[in-house]
Amino acid sequence: MAEPLIHAQDVTRRFGDFTAVDGVSISVAAGEIVGLLGANGAGKTTLIRMILGLLPPSDGALALFGAPPSREGRARLGYVPQGLGLWDDLTVAENLAFVDQAFGSRATAVPDALAGSRDGLVGGIGLGRQRQLAFAAALGHGPELLVLDEPTSGVDPLSRARLWDTVHESAEQGVGVLVTTHYMQEAEQCDRLVLMSQGRAVGEGQLADIVAGTTALAVRTERWQDAFEALDRAGVLVMLSGTHVRAVDADEVRVRAALGGLAAEVEPVGATLEEAMVARERSAG
Amino acid sequence: MKAMILKEFRELRRDKRTMAMLIVLPIVLLTIFGYAANFTVDTIPTRVIGPGAEQAAANAPELFDIGEVDAEATTDDALAWMTDNATEVVIDTTTQPPTAYVDGASLFTAQSASAAFGRMGDQVEVDILFNPDLETSWVMVPALIGLILTFIGTIITSIGLVKERQSGTLEQLAVMPLKPADVIIGKIAPYFLLASFDMLVVTFLGVWIFDVPFNGSPWLFAIGAGIFLFVVLGIGVLISTVSQTQAQAIQLAIMLLLPQILLSGFIFPLDAMPTAIAAIGRCLPLTYFVEIAQGIFLRGAGLDALWVPYAVLTGMALLVFTAAVLRFRRDLAPSAHHRAKSKAA
Repeated sequence: MAEPLIHAQDVTRRFGDFTAVDGVSISVAAGEIVGLLGANGAGKTTLIRMILGLLPPSDGALALFGAPPSREGRARLGYVPQGLGLWDDLTVAENLAFVDQAFGSRATAVPDALAGSRDGLVGGIGLGRQRQLAFAAALGHGPELLVLDEPTSGVDPLSRARLWDTVHESAEQGVGVLVTTHYMQEAEQCDRLVLMSQGRAVGEGQLADIVAGTTALAVRTERWQDAFEALDRAGVLVMLSGTHVRAVDADEVRVRAALGGLAAEVEPVGATLEEAMVARERSAG
Repeated sequence: MKAMILKEFRELRRDKRTMAMLIVLPIVLLTIFGYAANFTVDTIPTRVIGPGAEQAAANAPELFDIGEVDAEATTDDALAWMTDNATEVVIDTTTQPPTAYVDGASLFTAQSASAAFGRMGDQVEVDILFNPDLETSWVMVPALIGLILTFIGTIITSIGLVKERQSGTLEQLAVMPLKPADVIIGKIAPYFLLASFDMLVVTFLGVWIFDVPFNGSPWLFAIGAGIFLFVVLGIGVLISTVSQTQAQAIQLAIMLLLPQILLSGFIFPLDAMPTAIAAIGRCLPLTYFVEIAQGIFLRGAGLDALWVPYAVLTGMALLVFTAAVLRFRRDLAPSAHHRAKSKAA
């Protein structure tokens, strides 16, 4: 079996008394898209910074291309940070030229979508285009691994879809991808997910595996606000989507008891990833 | 409005650097100005030579601090001492009446000495060397070059580096396969070159517009300016490593710039300051650059006369620049730093 591009075993990072990442294990193989899913502050970015070698782990073992993170290892990956890491005072073409020179790669072509902004300062183009440029810069030197930290944050749905097309194309060519996100729709694009909550990995596997461990009940009633309050009061993990009340990981008998005399239809439904995640966060917390 | 005022005070209370500027800086400025802002020189280091040296030394006004009385020394010795900045005044009794050689490069000292000799009437003939008309610009322009280099080195460099950190691109540089040395040199070299260009422009303009004489070796001056630039660029890099925002970098740079302006001796003479304040001045790099610049421009001094400021500046450059590079390197390659520490442990 081929060696994973990233292999982290029980990695921990403490900042004083605060543990940002607590014993997380993760691996990414070639051609695989692994999603690191969690709310803000879950420890995703800290984990990524350790994988890149920007932050030393307090405990645990970490290998990038089979060796401790190093400059040689980083030369084989493309990284798109949350802040994009572009130079605002350089033009689109100048940004790409600098990255090419730094990686010693041949000139990266300005993506077609950015052709009109080729000589425009990066600070003056929209966020969607900046993200496209950051992707082009990260892919320019033909990396074996892509590390993407919240790559589509603040991008419109069409641009987001385009960026994910790029990610899938890269993965099909054998590039391993580690992507952090807190968008549930994006998580569905990943081959495998690692759910993080409060620094810990609270779940891992394919989307179906993760969701399969969670049950949900749809509670249909015209008095949805009363139903929500009653279930919440009873300690049931309850979620609301518009006017649809859903009880997560709850027993039907307990739900009906909590609703009391309130007229409602209670029906088992498939749990969503978001529900699975909240349920795991609750049981971990 | 009350809510706004309260909010502002709460923010200010937590902004330690601004609080330092608001509270500590005025106290420091008042103290320093109170002691340092003194144009009146109380004592002037003086040597007396020639056959009448003993008598002239005895008759010299109290202002002159007679350090050496040498009946054997010649006028050539006196002029050599003045060029080497070994003393501020030499009273030469080999001539009749005695000639008092005064260092015009030390403006306020020269003014005080001239006034004192003037009160003695025809007893002494005064010869002001290096700056006969006691032109302020002749003394200020060489020193201003140092101030300009300090400004570029500390403020502009630290802003440039902090901008990289603030925009997140420093992290991107750390992820690229660039050696930390490549990043550091690549980042600092443009500022070094721009500051060198500024130094050339200001030097030419100073000489051309203000007729400031350039009597020494241009190469020696260029080397001195280069060493000084390493010190101030190092300070700029150090400021950037402890600043999260450009505003913080500017605040810190100003806090370090002000004492250099006030205590380096280019506005207020160090000789006129109390010992403790002058000692602070002698810890500042600009003090030594001013000594070098004025020495080379006006006195035409060589390395034999200026080796002390050169040595001190070189020491400072090594210390500050090494510290700056190590700190900056730690930002760029934290894991390497961690590995080195683990190995050591």
